[in-house]
Amino acid sequence: MIRVQQEDFDVAALYQALLVANKTGAVAMFVGLVREFAELPPDECTFELEHYPGMTEHNLQSIVDDAKSRWDLQEVRVVHRVGRLSINDQIVFVGVSSSHRAEAFQACDFIMDYLKSRAAFWKKETQGSRSQWVEASEKDKTRLARWQ
Amino acid sequence: MTNVNVLFFASLKETLGISEYQLAGNFPMTIRAVKQQLSAELAKGDALLGVGIQSSIDYEFARDADLVASSAQEIAFFPPVTGG
Repeated sequence: MIRVQQEDFDVAALYQALLVANKTGAVAMFVGLVREFAELPPDECTFELEHYPGMTEHNLQSIVDDAKSRWDLQEVRVVHRVGRLSINDQIVFVGVSSSHRAEAFQACDFIMDYLKSRAAFWKKETQGSRSQWVEASEKDKTRLARWQ
Repeated sequence: MTNVNVLFFASLKETLGISEYQLAGNFPMTIRAVKQQLSAELAKGDALLGVGIQSSIDYEFARDADLVASSAQEIAFFPPVTGG
């Protein structure tokens, strides 16, 4: 299940949704948050996430399908927020369940690496009256190459 | 000539000052050719030729050499993605 939404998400509820009775032996989850990015007090900073409706969901589904073809997974949940956020807000959730931990860890890592480089989202940081778009990181490209 | 809807996102959208444009072109044509045509038709269109500008054809990431078919519904241009 993939969701792109403005509203916050409940990690406990998403965890429960990953469990398959009598079958799940491992759950790996990742939560990304907005961290401090400026010298100004947090209440003078905002963070905005733009996306490409339609393409973003398509990208995320392709990434999840790819993960399912590489590892033996039970349930996968990806939730990504868009719109205006504040420091400390949750941005993204990726959760994976499987029989064993290796698959869960690897699939969760893989989905996040691909999401960072192959899903149509853009971050913008605003401090006071100044705004700037976040630039893509070279480190993210290197991490993606691990799976190719 | 065929019309294709072109979308722009993030910093590229702000530089161009538009989020959408109807492009009349002789498809099939490459993404590279689409960029060049747009750069001539749009104010500040040179921004499309900048290093790292990415593209998509009908929601799939595309490269400069990829062909946009006359049946394509939507093309988009944007800076490198930064989600997560």
